[in-house]
Amino acid sequence: MKTLKIKIDGKEVTAKPDQTILELATENGIYIPTLCHSPALEPAAMCRLCMVELYEGRRKKFVTACNFPLRRDVEIKTDTPDIRQGRKLIIELLMARCADSPLLQGLAKEYGANVQRFSDLKDDCVMCGLCARVCEKVGGKTLTLSGRGVEIHVNTAFSEASEFCIGCGSCVQICPVNSIVMEDVAGERILKIHGREAARVKLVHCEMCNKHFGPVIDLTKVMSKFDKGAIPPSNANICPDCARIKLAKRIAGRYYDTI
Amino acid sequence: MQQLKQAAESNVNTPRITSPKALEDYRASLASKYGHDVPTVIICCGTGCRPSNAVEVAELLEKGLAEADFQGKIVPHVKATGCHGFCSRGPIVELEPQGIFYQKVKPKDVPEIIEKTIKGGELIKHLQYKDASKKVFTHTNEIPFYAKQSRLVLKNIGKINPFDIDDAIATGTYGALAKALSSMTPGQIIEEVKTSFIKGRGGAGFPTGIKWESCASQIGNRYIICNADEGDPGAFMDRSLLEGDPHRILEGMAIAAKAIGSNRGYIYVRLEYPLAIQTLTQAIQQAEAMGLLGDNIMGTGFNFKVSLSMGAGAFVCGESSALMSSLEGKVGRPRPKYIRSVEKGFRDSPSNLNNVETYANIPDIILKGGEWYKSIGTKESTGTKVFSLTGNVHNIGLVEVPMGVPLREIIFDIGGGVPKKRAFKAVQTGGPSGGCIPAQHLDIPVSFESLDQVGSIMGSGGMIVMDENICMVEVARYFTHFLVEESCGQCTPCREGLIRMEEILERITHGEGREEDPDTLEEIGKFVTNFSLCGLGTSAANPVLSTIRHFREEYETHIRHKKCPAGVCKPLYSLKIDEEKCVGCGICKKRCPVNAITGDKKKPHVLEIEKCIKCMECHKNCDFAAVIVL
Amino acid sequence: MAGIESKCTEPEIDYNVLNSIIVDRYNQNRENLIMMMQAIQKQYRYLPITALRYLSDKVQVPLIKIFEIATFYASFSLKPKGKNIINICTGTACHLKGTGKMVEHITSKVGIKSGETTPDMLLTMDNVNCVGACAVAPVIVFNEKYYPEADLSVINTLLDQAKSE
Repeated sequence: MKTLKIKIDGKEVTAKPDQTILELATENGIYIPTLCHSPALEPAAMCRLCMVELYEGRRKKFVTACNFPLRRDVEIKTDTPDIRQGRKLIIELLMARCADSPLLQGLAKEYGANVQRFSDLKDDCVMCGLCARVCEKVGGKTLTLSGRGVEIHVNTAFSEASEFCIGCGSCVQICPVNSIVMEDVAGERILKIHGREAARVKLVHCEMCNKHFGPVIDLTKVMSKFDKGAIPPSNANICPDCARIKLAKRIAGRYYDTI
Repeated sequence: MQQLKQAAESNVNTPRITSPKALEDYRASLASKYGHDVPTVIICCGTGCRPSNAVEVAELLEKGLAEADFQGKIVPHVKATGCHGFCSRGPIVELEPQGIFYQKVKPKDVPEIIEKTIKGGELIKHLQYKDASKKVFTHTNEIPFYAKQSRLVLKNIGKINPFDIDDAIATGTYGALAKALSSMTPGQIIEEVKTSFIKGRGGAGFPTGIKWESCASQIGNRYIICNADEGDPGAFMDRSLLEGDPHRILEGMAIAAKAIGSNRGYIYVRLEYPLAIQTLTQAIQQAEAMGLLGDNIMGTGFNFKVSLSMGAGAFVCGESSALMSSLEGKVGRPRPKYIRSVEKGFRDSPSNLNNVETYANIPDIILKGGEWYKSIGTKESTGTKVFSLTGNVHNIGLVEVPMGVPLREIIFDIGGGVPKKRAFKAVQTGGPSGGCIPAQHLDIPVSFESLDQVGSIMGSGGMIVMDENICMVEVARYFTHFLVEESCGQCTPCREGLIRMEEILERITHGEGREEDPDTLEEIGKFVTNFSLCGLGTSAANPVLSTIRHFREEYETHIRHKKCPAGVCKPLYSLKIDEEKCVGCGICKKRCPVNAITGDKKKPHVLEIEKCIKCMECHKNCDFAAVIVL
Repeated sequence: MAGIESKCTEPEIDYNVLNSIIVDRYNQNRENLIMMMQAIQKQYRYLPITALRYLSDKVQVPLIKIFEIATFYASFSLKPKGKNIINICTGTACHLKGTGKMVEHITSKVGIKSGETTPDMLLTMDNVNCVGACAVAPVIVFNEKYYPEADLSVINTLLDQAKSE
């Protein structure tokens, strides 16, 4: 296969066609900061933190590393004064939304950002869109970015508690500023976004230990996505701990009469 | 409207055109009805004239002519057309073949027009056009507004009934398509367009021929898309074309389809243009019924179907990838992809997107050749460009001139300059993505390149003239606010950067500006330009950057002296009546909504500043410039 | 936005009408989603949630995507609109000729901001970014009728008209 000759931060490396700059940089141990990127999802290029300079002949372009596909031999600079200045501004602007985030605070230090430059917007979200994207891909299609412009924010349909949430918690896991909260209370899993209840999912009761463990999922629906004949596992209503004990007991039963 | 309905019905019986030759024969047969010498009363019924009762005037004319006794002479027929482009004088009535021009015609004028002019051949003084020096003009082609233009794209507008395909065919429409289908290969069509060196009229100015060529080289189903989402506030070129000459656009699209190898086209039109939606809908139906669109066009075996799709109110959908998402029935956010839409656009297939005016230029390029087209305009910017001239200028309307004409000629010779003896301050081009150009650059020739050099852009052709009473800081705030609302919100620089710029501009216009504000605005502005995701974002700072570049002292007056010299930013000025200039006509007193002005007739009036709410009604209406801004 | 929610009871949804839009006119094709929503809005003067749920089901598009579209495009409204709609053009030409002051005037007179409806549901004020009638600026559109070269007195007349209906 054809390979590309790329110069990145002075280093001559080779790249595969259509590889992204971010992938190439990571491969070669060059750090490019990102907020809205996850290798599990399509790049959205929303936060613009991964902006780098691309040189082709004399032309200089600003491109986002997360989604720029390399197709020609080019030079890339990931840490120029212009890039640092832009990243500093992004962080300053986002600090006004999410001043408490340790991730942003770390970046602010790295880029010498003035953390109080802009007045506080009293928000808790950096609008990276990861939660909405992961929800669309693996969740119940519960979250989206509603509105536009200044008004854009993570939301459920009609701003009401959603009936579509499956309680998978992917949004909680992926949020870079830890703003999505999930709590299991009294047999229910409650998802909170912007401090507001976004969904409430019933939890399954473990047949063995009586504790609640995971969200109730329509397993026949899930299994229908697999090959024909797939039936829900027999221990679907048993929590992982008890399942392990049950298995252990079964194995033990082969060697000992009683346990 | 009755007359429009008739046109529609009569087309039910129109024949199906089965060959390019049949089109020529059919055109020849139309001469007796649509020829230049047929007595016709033309009335403009475009969006600009409709609010001023144009449709009523047309109906009255039709009724009046039907009832009048012409004693055997030919009764002229009434024709309702699309926008003439001279909207500030609307409703406009023209009498053909003499070419008599009447302006601001009211329903009550109709009997007089029929009796005196149509029957008696006598001119009606009060309906004639007079320029600023009170010179009277009888014929359309003598009026400076029209005389100095070169109307190629706008040729038929205001001449034909947009609801009547026969009228379009009579002027030669679909002739270029016949030529392209019968005697040209796709490669030859593309070559002709490349030779013409026409650049996209939507704003970015990418050479159309190259775009077509690269779309034609792709594999897969290809789509032809027309961007009729004219979102720039203050621009109405595309609206007039869609309303006035829809078949020209359909013809241009069909030629593109032949060149690129597509059989499916879409027109994405703004919901805010209801009349354009009507004209297009009917035009598509008529063209399909006659075999000029749809299956087996003109019997040549070429198929091309066009559908109409409506936007739902989002400026960002003028951006090509956002438009394609919207066409697919999704949210119109620009796609974060470094892949051109000619490779992967609508339905992830190769898509050729051009603006309305670009398609409208194509038929003439095919008929007269790329070399001919190239001979018009400048070396880098060929052909003509349509501008919508608005704001503080005498003659508001559509202006089509060759590229390279100086701004001054458009604004002062064609536009008639700034009214009320006020001074010209700036011209804003390119809509919210453009910039403000000050008086010292009035002599630059209009082209993609020259406007870019002075910090503005050609854009789609909006041209808003601003006089001394317009505050440039407020203009920058207005556009920034517009973009804050219209930004899709997905990328950080555009979303967060614009809010902060608006915040600073709000502060300055409220008298709370800080010394460092212009520099901060420039810092954020450059960042938004370099770091944003789409064309909206990367040009969003232009209004601010260009006003700081050319009008920095006005920012400084606001910040340091807390004054708005133009009298726009309310907290930064007050009003006073100049005793020496005031003649005591009493207009200001009558206009004042809060009774803050007192004074006897023919004696200088006094304005009580405590009561004044600075609505500027007095200032606006004083004919003696006696209300002054302090 | 006070006073709107209180009066916001869902209208009776006629599923035959919805079917004629979704199935007959637009073929249940998801690419026509925006135009279906426009037709639904025309029917009810806003987008009732029940109708959108039905639409989601019919075209097999997740409800959240439909909500996203409804909040993205300016012409859609999830709140009922008033019987009369006054649309102030805030395009550049109209803005320079003072439509900003007209918006303020309406707000001070009837207490609604742009996008809001009076508590008696008689009047909604909307802004539109240019209707393309710049030559006759400032333009206001009242119940789809254009008023060219409008001024405060025209607005006052229209406000009275809206109230009397």
